[in-house]
Amino acid sequence: MSGTPLLAARDVHAVREGDHGPVAVLDGVDFALAGGTLAEVVGPSGSGKTTFLLALARLLPGVTGELALEGAYADGIAPQTWRTRVALLPQRPALVPGTVADNLRLPWTLKVRHGEQPPADDALVDALAGVGLADVAPGRDVSRLSVGQIARIALLRVMLARPRVLLLDEPDASLDDASAAEVARLTGAFVAEGGGVVRVSHVRADATATARYRLAGGRIEALHA
Amino acid sequence: MPDITPGGAIPIGAWELAIATVFVLVAGGLSLRMGLRLERDLAIATVRTYLQLFALGFVLRWVFVNQTWPIVLALLGVMVVAAARVVLKRAGNAPPGVFGSSVVAMALTGFTVTFAVTALIVRVPVWYEARYVLPIAGMVIGNSMTGIALAVERLFADLDARSAEMLGLAALGAGVWECARPSVRTALTAGLVPTINSMAAAGVVFIPGMMTGQILAGADPLEATKYQIVVMLMIAAATSIGAIASVMLMYRKRFTEDGVYLEKGYREPAA
Repeated sequence: MSGTPLLAARDVHAVREGDHGPVAVLDGVDFALAGGTLAEVVGPSGSGKTTFLLALARLLPGVTGELALEGAYADGIAPQTWRTRVALLPQRPALVPGTVADNLRLPWTLKVRHGEQPPADDALVDALAGVGLADVAPGRDVSRLSVGQIARIALLRVMLARPRVLLLDEPDASLDDASAAEVARLTGAFVAEGGGVVRVSHVRADATATARYRLAGGRIEALHA
Repeated sequence: MPDITPGGAIPIGAWELAIATVFVLVAGGLSLRMGLRLERDLAIATVRTYLQLFALGFVLRWVFVNQTWPIVLALLGVMVVAAARVVLKRAGNAPPGVFGSSVVAMALTGFTVTFAVTALIVRVPVWYEARYVLPIAGMVIGNSMTGIALAVERLFADLDARSAEMLGLAALGAGVWECARPSVRTALTAGLVPTINSMAAAGVVFIPGMMTGQILAGADPLEATKYQIVVMLMIAAATSIGAIASVMLMYRKRFTEDGVYLEKGYREPAA
């Protein structure tokens, strides 16, 4: 890989309290993600895939090691600002009470985006149509959404906020094939625009992945496609 | 016709105390008969009531005669520490530092409200007049303790219940306050609602305890009413300010400096 990677991690360690004392979930992980890449990370259940994504998003306590975004070290970037650029979509995305529009505009209610303009109503309608949710009005209450609709709206919310890197934790685990295809199309478009995606998968292999890694025993290794 | 004390109260002797105890024995008998297994707790609570309140009576009688400001302040300190221990016990899985925060919140509200009432409203001749300061402080700290304990318990339970939602918020760039705000609101509602309900029902559903005590002690009901209003308002103020202060001092303890919520498995042992 030449040039500065979009996202780089070096010698990342993460320890979690296990039943028989501390367990090194990440044990010196080195990882680099170029722009325009969709990296798929596989590994046995409990191997630390979610922990890896949390560490990259700086959402895990007690992580050591170096992280850099486009060459800028994480130390010099406020954690909240980092998370707007390296955005994690958790495995069980939770929407806040309110309407679909409230949720899609939620990032712009946060202090970290103070002064930025949230998307207008028309943009929300177009964005919903773009993920196969043309029949969902922005004014619909989120309590009236299906699990699959919630997953897509949570993904849309993250993407509308225009991060540089998307960290997806089993984004299609609760989706039918058609919805999963919409998600794959959406992330594909994000990658085509130069963004980077790290995607943890369990249910379906992503045919559009341009790099594959395996996480096991606290280490990550590149797999040949 | 029984004697009446100079203050207007009808004195109670051992026989009268025994009659009151018989009613508890009846309750204990019912518990035994119905297999509720409450008779042991009831017996222990009754014995504790006798011992603690008689001890209090003797202490108060001694303090009223020998009062000095260090003694009065020391007693207030003991009350605050004891109340903070109750909060800690009820808060269950609270993070380390909750005891200190409770002490600060209760000392702040307890001392401020008590001395404001005794100095500005009752206008006691000596600022540490134990006959006024200690009972008023007891009511203020006791009620504020209940409010704080309810609020703190709810705070940490609600934060745990919302951990998935908070992870999503933090992943979007939310700060600690933005993640915790709904739980802080829920906690403060839980802590303050009993006090607000009690104010709404006072005089309609029940006669408040202090007013009852004063009337039984021979005071004019209207005078007792004015005292009760002062007491209820100061309890409401102390409970509200105490609960707000303690929750605001405590919610950050469950987050890292980077604004990450500490899930179980990443926490230091409970306080």
